[in-house]
Amino acid sequence: MDFDFSPEEERFREEVKTFFEDHRELAAGTREEWDSGLGYGDNSWEMLKKIGERGWLCPTWPKEYGGLELSYMYRYIMMEQMHYYLNIYSTVGAGMAGPVILSHGSEEQKKEFLLPIARGEIEFALGYTEPQAGSDLAALMIRAEDKGDHFLVNGSKLFNTRAHYAQYHWLGVRTEKTKPKYKGISLFMVDLKTPGITVRPIWTVGGTRTNEVFYDNVRAPKEALVGELNRGFYYILEALDYERISTVAGLERDFEEIVEYVKNTGKNKDPVVREKIAGLAIEIESARLLALRVAWMLDNHQVPNHEAAMLKLLVSETEQHLVNMFMQIFGPYSQIQRGSKWAQLKGKFERAYRDSLESLVTRGTSEIMRTVIAQRGLGLPRV
Amino acid sequence: MELGFSELQNILVDSAKSFFKKEAGGIVREVEFSHEGYSPELWRKMAELGWIGVVFPEEFGGIGGSFTDLVLILEEMGKALFPGPFVSNIISGLAILEYGSESQKNEFLPKVMEGSFIISPALTPPDPRLGEVVKDDRIIAVDGGYVLSGTRLFVPYAHVADFLVYRADTDEGTALFLMDAKAPGITCTPLDSIGADKPCEVVLENVDVAKDRIIGESGNGEEIVNKMGQWGALAESARIVGMLERILKMSVEYAKEREQFEKKIGSFQAIQHQAANMATDVDQARFLTYEAAWKLSEGLPARKEISMAKAWASDSARRCSLLGVTIHGGAGVSEEHDMQLYFRRAKACEIAFGDGDFHRKIVAEELAL
Repeated sequence: MDFDFSPEEERFREEVKTFFEDHRELAAGTREEWDSGLGYGDNSWEMLKKIGERGWLCPTWPKEYGGLELSYMYRYIMMEQMHYYLNIYSTVGAGMAGPVILSHGSEEQKKEFLLPIARGEIEFALGYTEPQAGSDLAALMIRAEDKGDHFLVNGSKLFNTRAHYAQYHWLGVRTEKTKPKYKGISLFMVDLKTPGITVRPIWTVGGTRTNEVFYDNVRAPKEALVGELNRGFYYILEALDYERISTVAGLERDFEEIVEYVKNTGKNKDPVVREKIAGLAIEIESARLLALRVAWMLDNHQVPNHEAAMLKLLVSETEQHLVNMFMQIFGPYSQIQRGSKWAQLKGKFERAYRDSLESLVTRGTSEIMRTVIAQRGLGLPRV
Repeated sequence: MELGFSELQNILVDSAKSFFKKEAGGIVREVEFSHEGYSPELWRKMAELGWIGVVFPEEFGGIGGSFTDLVLILEEMGKALFPGPFVSNIISGLAILEYGSESQKNEFLPKVMEGSFIISPALTPPDPRLGEVVKDDRIIAVDGGYVLSGTRLFVPYAHVADFLVYRADTDEGTALFLMDAKAPGITCTPLDSIGADKPCEVVLENVDVAKDRIIGESGNGEEIVNKMGQWGALAESARIVGMLERILKMSVEYAKEREQFEKKIGSFQAIQHQAANMATDVDQARFLTYEAAWKLSEGLPARKEISMAKAWASDSARRCSLLGVTIHGGAGVSEEHDMQLYFRRAKACEIAFGDGDFHRKIVAEELAL
């Protein structure tokens, strides 16, 4: 057993850290944009392009598509450092859409999309959820009718984050009424500037922007279809496993910040505070090891399934412990918001307490994660 | 990065599984109320496989393996609830290996591994607020040694031990004495405990010990005790991991078979989610333990990692053994069902070498809070 990176991997990690340290201002600007809840701004796009032009955004991809043909561990290292410095550990294009296009896309689609994804030039918004289709994704109803030389799309999506700044919609649509429902779903890539698409903001309690997206007689070209007709649900499931992979570097960074503040404010001698911090440190470390496990599996061409669900569950729930702990330690001061006198750490954790709720229900609710672990990991029966 | 095991390690695990399957069925209940509390015969058989010597160098009769190898054996022991002074012998032996004189190493190490010699750490003085202390600590320096009186608690298997590693405070600091447990003046009383693992009260009355029976330098004792605590904590974490894996497996198997309301109870969300929580908990304990073992194997400082592992494993032992009982419903509460054996021993392992609270204090120190 060996929990260290190889010397080459370690060298890469140092190179990436140096890059972010050298671009400290741009990284801080990117992080601020992300933490504002508004999505990618100018700094983010500039940073993603700088990362992408080095081949670092999709390092495992073929060189012809903007990658470096490196093993998965390099992607993990990149994700960790991006998470730490930017709070953005991947783009949807790099993490979800791209891999599916690589595996199931046409040659034309690969040529058109992969290089811009890898270069950090384009982003995708996931288009899965609808008012009646959340955890029960197969209940989606947005219709794509085959009109011969194009598809006509009608319907709406809910909680489609990034739709206000992404160039493309990674859209799950119904192309056939089937029983069971999942057998009539297809996956489309739609240009979000297509006439008939309306994007309306929805604000979360955390101050993050997500969107309702309306499709009113939208003409999508035949080339919008990814892979086979009516096979979309399988591609979506594949992508979901990837979506649940993350690192804990963001939590580690926040933890460091909290510990420093606790020490600076003299609260580090309180035994109750010490106990909480130690407990959280242990939990974060255990989550980091589970993230390493998923990375190692992918590095060894094994498919993490329940392991990814376990990771997602643990990271989101550990995040809750982190934000709770901050609020408990700083008591009534912790509730004061950014911009106000007496706000702690510029109200960062007051907002995080609200914003972190999202992780419990997006990318698969904690309950669904537990069901995946139980059924696919432990073999417990569905019915 | 390598999170799998070597071929040799897989062979080791397979042979451990075979041994316990073949030899140790029913042993736990058999020895629970016996005088020894373990089976000396099985103990010898196990020692013949070389397991006690796994982390000791070949020159003293060991295998020269790593702490990861040791953890893998302990996991299997945990699954089987195999009783016996395995951890006592190992941490006492390691103390002699790391700190003892050449003659101490030569005299004791081969015996420690061979299978008929039991050596147990007597480190814990009693808390007088919690019970009657029959003999207070007293130490008199004499020519070439000391005369010791005192009480030590929770000494595993002291009543059958050949030697004790007895901690005393001399005029030169804390010292660990290699003490003949059968010497006159020593009384070892096994205490009935929840885990039936025979923690003993050891009382010394005017016992002679020679100075050359001190492990290492006089005054070094504190450091050795801390080290023994670390080795013990790692070992018990590994044992807990094995127990948890077995508890999870039993619970899942039961849930797949047991029917109520014309359905397998394993199809109910409450059961599925509890099982998922258990599975996550176990994997956390497992990887924290493996990381600590790896660090020790590499000769790197591992105090933080060991305490992280033991803290998590301790609380996990309590959480998961409870879930194991409740998932089994009425069967889980019965004496007849094996789940109660795991539940009780989980508590003993949680406590051994420091529980969650104890180790979180250490983690806080290691974080330089």
